[in-house]
Amino acid sequence: MVAQLRISRSRFLLLVVMGFVVGSAPEIALGIDSKAVQAIVAGGKFAELKSLGREVLPVMARLYESSDTAQRARVAEAFYSLGWKSAEAKRVLMKDVHTPNSQLRLQVQWALGRVSSDADVVEVLLNNMQHDGNPLFRDKAACALASDQIHLTEQQKVALFSGLIQALGDSKSDVRRIAMLALQIQTGQTKGFNPDASPAERDVKVREWKVWLEEYKSNL
Amino acid sequence: MEGMARRIQIQSIALFCVLTAAASGQTGTSNVLVSYGFDDAQLATGPDTFAVFARSRGTVRLNAGNRLSGYRSVEIRDVAADGDFPELQGYFAPRSRGKLFLHFAFMTATPFEEFNIALAGPQWFSLRKDGIGFWLKTREGHLCQVSDSMPKKLLLLEPFVWYVVNSSYDIDQGSYDLIIHKEGIEKPVVSLARQANASNQPGSAVDKFSFIGDTNEHKSNVAYYVDDVIVGIDESIVHLPFVAPGRKKLFIDYWSEAQRARRSRPEPIDPVGLSDFGIRQKEMEALKAAALWELLLRFINGQAISSEVPQEASIETRQLLQAVALWGEGTKALRDQKPEQALKRFDEAAALVPSAKIYSMNAVLSLAALQQWDLVDERLSRIYEDWHDDLRFPPAMATIGLARQRLDEVEQRLRGPAEQVPDEIGQDLLRRLHGGAMTPELLQELKRRFPDNWGDYLRDVFVAEQYFLVLLWKGQAADAERFAQRMTDRYEALGIPSARWHERMGDAAFVLGNFSMALEKYEKGLGHEPNPGLLVKLSDVYFRLGDMENERLYREKIYGTIGPE
Repeated sequence: MVAQLRISRSRFLLLVVMGFVVGSAPEIALGIDSKAVQAIVAGGKFAELKSLGREVLPVMARLYESSDTAQRARVAEAFYSLGWKSAEAKRVLMKDVHTPNSQLRLQVQWALGRVSSDADVVEVLLNNMQHDGNPLFRDKAACALASDQIHLTEQQKVALFSGLIQALGDSKSDVRRIAMLALQIQTGQTKGFNPDASPAERDVKVREWKVWLEEYKSNL
Repeated sequence: MEGMARRIQIQSIALFCVLTAAASGQTGTSNVLVSYGFDDAQLATGPDTFAVFARSRGTVRLNAGNRLSGYRSVEIRDVAADGDFPELQGYFAPRSRGKLFLHFAFMTATPFEEFNIALAGPQWFSLRKDGIGFWLKTREGHLCQVSDSMPKKLLLLEPFVWYVVNSSYDIDQGSYDLIIHKEGIEKPVVSLARQANASNQPGSAVDKFSFIGDTNEHKSNVAYYVDDVIVGIDESIVHLPFVAPGRKKLFIDYWSEAQRARRSRPEPIDPVGLSDFGIRQKEMEALKAAALWELLLRFINGQAISSEVPQEASIETRQLLQAVALWGEGTKALRDQKPEQALKRFDEAAALVPSAKIYSMNAVLSLAALQQWDLVDERLSRIYEDWHDDLRFPPAMATIGLARQRLDEVEQRLRGPAEQVPDEIGQDLLRRLHGGAMTPELLQELKRRFPDNWGDYLRDVFVAEQYFLVLLWKGQAADAERFAQRMTDRYEALGIPSARWHERMGDAAFVLGNFSMALEKYEKGLGHEPNPGLLVKLSDVYFRLGDMENERLYREKIYGTIGPE
């Protein structure tokens, strides 16, 4: 009932134009046709997608699962654009979080933080940032951690900060650099950490960050 | 604060004036960069002053009910799940070194709903150098500061209590001192020194401030109030007092300032809220949906003419806008001493939107300017119920009284014997009339029962009230008090409720500085169903007597209170 009340004028018109009537065919879930959604996604008309309301999310998740790699990347981009929390979206996106396909991997990594605030999302992105064999994937995982964890609460950010601070001690200099960048975007500061400084100098700064994290936790 | 940054990048700044854009002062020649009391002078929004964003269902508007000083504050009201947030954003000349002093007051009705207050620089509202410098936010009922990139709890917020924030912000050091006072408590509830700024960045420039609801999740249903925003480079700003008498303006201050501002010639009264125009939430949403919000504000500010009302708008919306346009024309006409023209405009506006109370009152003032006293009294009786508790009513009545002249005739009548009305029905009607229960229905009954002299009865009531107010107006408070005493005696002799005259005796005592007497009289005036105006006066008199507990008790009777969630 609530879902039906939320149907906006534009959404209603869209359904009428497409000749759909709620419940008239089994493949039309909640009055939203997956082919119509597919067309909207393919056209990149994300505002139109938004006008369909959150009921579109399970339809998109099913579309994602039934699509080829290229289309999955477009659906992932659409999830990113909507920025709505969705367990279904997270479930399907997580299946491709290690895919070797560059186009899909980047879209999935960027989208995950915008559909979920679950701990395992941050965990898998931290893991990709540090341990993926492809430097591009490591870098873009850091980007996602820096800018796309939009649903995290202050408590949930502890795991994010903790992982980024831990990565400041990584043996790979590019990992230290991107971890620092992500931490800087999240907090606005570096505390003087230089990823190319000597191990001893880096250790001093990492300890400063760990003290900061303890203070952060004590204020929650 | 991601949302703020996003909004600004879009640069679709919906500038509009909050109602009459009445924010007092701003950049001056002194050490004050910004000063908004939201009370007196008119000030248009703009890139050098402030902007208001209220694009979705949230609102930013002037509020006469909750204010720390003066007559108005700004209310910021967010609506959850509407995909946006309301914002009051102010600008000042960029500062990249030295110290800045910040002073403002806030009060929330909903401590468990999120709101954010920030000072930021050219990098807008992000945590970075030249981004957010100073940031207060709420979390689970607590006020927090964001310092060194982390939120830190400061205090548990109480609903409907004013907090005054003073901060000296050291741009070079990237730190600030913070002192927060809570209403009714002399010592500060927060006193912190050398706090790292929001992202712990020395030399982080600032040039703007912002008051919003929540940022990303759009979960907030906050309603909070902001008053007395001052930003400057003079340290005296952070030493502004809080509850000291003279800081808080009382009902009598409105009276005194109106008295100074007005002459005996009737002039239109100013609006203090959109409801004066019959515009409430539903109408606001309709105007926004029709993209006519800015046109409305232009009408209010006299920057548009009635022919600009688009024909394609709905009938209701057209009527609302046309009425505001007519009101603007009427206001100008009355100020230009063209009362006939003004009356026509106000009447046309009232016919279009009968629920807008300001049109009818300004029509009465136009009639007073035309000396059409029978019509003044009849119309006043029709709107009395809507107006008698309004702060603007006594000055309006005094203005009418001054224009009417020969008010002292009422004294002559008091010297004669108490009038006897022959039958019970007539007596009951007159009791209700004199008791202040004036409604259009009562007027009809009066006309039926006293077809020949109903106007005389009406005039007696209004003239007595106007005479009292004119005496006060002229600074003859002792005479006003004695007159109110005689009216009280008369009413009691006739068996008429005299609560309103006890209240007026209290007003005179208040003006004379006899607060104990004012309290006694106000308490006598309370009656079974105390009017909100009297509760304000009781709150004010307790404030003057230094009894903050009772000051709050009566204030909360008007504005309410809520417990923790």
